Amino acid sequence: MTSKKTIKSAFESMLFVWGDPLDVKVAAEVFNIDFKEAYGYFLELAQEYSDEGRGIEIREIDKKFQFCTRLENNDYIEKLCSPTKEKRLSQPALEVLAIIAYKQPVTKGEIESIRGIKCDRVLEGLAKKELIAEVGRSSGIGRPILYGTTPEFLKNFGFKDLGDLPEIEDIGETVQKEEENESIDYQQIALDFREA
Amino acid sequence: MAYKVKLDIFEGPFDLLVYLIENAEMNIYDIKVSEITSQYLNYLSLLQDYNIELASEFMVLAATLIEIKSKMLLPRPKIDGDESAYEDPRAELVQKILEYKKFKTAAENLEQLEELGLKIYSKPQEDLSQYTKEPDEFIDLDLSQFVKAFNLFIQKKKKIEDIHKRYEKIEQDRMSVEDRMIEIRGLFKAKSGIAFHDLIADNQDKYDIVLTFVSVLELIRLNTVSVRQHTSLGEIYLTLKKPKGGELHHDE
Repeated sequence: MTSKKTIKSAFESMLFVWGDPLDVKVAAEVFNIDFKEAYGYFLELAQEYSDEGRGIEIREIDKKFQFCTRLENNDYIEKLCSPTKEKRLSQPALEVLAIIAYKQPVTKGEIESIRGIKCDRVLEGLAKKELIAEVGRSSGIGRPILYGTTPEFLKNFGFKDLGDLPEIEDIGETVQKEEENESIDYQQIALDFREA
Repeated sequence: MAYKVKLDIFEGPFDLLVYLIENAEMNIYDIKVSEITSQYLNYLSLLQDYNIELASEFMVLAATLIEIKSKMLLPRPKIDGDESAYEDPRAELVQKILEYKKFKTAAENLEQLEELGLKIYSKPQEDLSQYTKEPDEFIDLDLSQFVKAFNLFIQKKKKIEDIHKRYEKIEQDRMSVEDRMIEIRGLFKAKSGIAFHDLIADNQDKYDIVLTFVSVLELIRLNTVSVRQHTSLGEIYLTLKKPKGGELHHDE
């Protein structure tokens, strides 16, 4: 049996060599250990890095792990690689991406009905950036394409997995609560909503 | 110019509507449809004054707003004196606005996360070939593709074998009859009569002999040389005929 210390040390070296997020499964196969054990070692390793406040963090993305820089060091890295590339998403792109992220798998029609405007170009752009991808076909009329987010999306936005997305379902409720005291007229309508 | 700035903000009809409602500090559950509709239409006509092409979707929402406005003007039907059974014509619109707002907020959250994400750097997939002894080349094929490729290879091989069976390789003519004729006539510059045997030297193969023979026949046909054979199966002697005017071009 290889010792835990050796395996963790080896995983660390493997992360360094690999670059891209390293699949826990691949790493586990190297030592012929099961996924759960390997996953645990990666978590421990990540914890050690974060406890020591190292300049490198081990980030989890979709059951894979990767070395990345510490957020606080951004300014220095920018100075090292200036001028830095601007690659922010546009407002419509962010909206469409948000709808896809929360409602996936989702069709173009559903996205357009929420935003009230066409979004072919935006979808194209997001697919080109590999943030979204076709994930199948709806069984509805015309079998429209279903869209979903990619691991690249998780990576760029710092999510471990889709469960990591911030909660949004309660936005409507908070609006309701805020305004509950203000209007009497509204309560009738609000009742309608709860039923709907 | 002020409108140009605003244009960048409104990404769709709902975006504009949400802006107008919030700007008027209206309760989203109690939209003053009449007021909002006129503001919305004013804005659209302003855009049109500036010759800005409007997406048809903006018009669809305008029509919806006008429809709701007209419904609101109708007296509320009282069903058994119970007003709560009355369905607000704005309900569907409000629901849509809420749904849109939900994702607009989500988009804002994502924007902040993107901002953070851009500040964290990671490495792309490393090229591992420098570490491996004999870099394996992996071809991304599934079994059916592999079988197809193999069958194609077998077919090609069969075809080539077929061709080899039916056809023989031929060589290009080493020398043409025309060239040989010029050569033979050149020999007559040195002597007036040549034996056919001298034309075919010892080391010549079948091709050369046939070529020389055909060339001689051609020269006879063209009346350039005459031949004589004294005995049957004996030596053939060639002599150059006196060139006539019309045949001068045969001389080089």
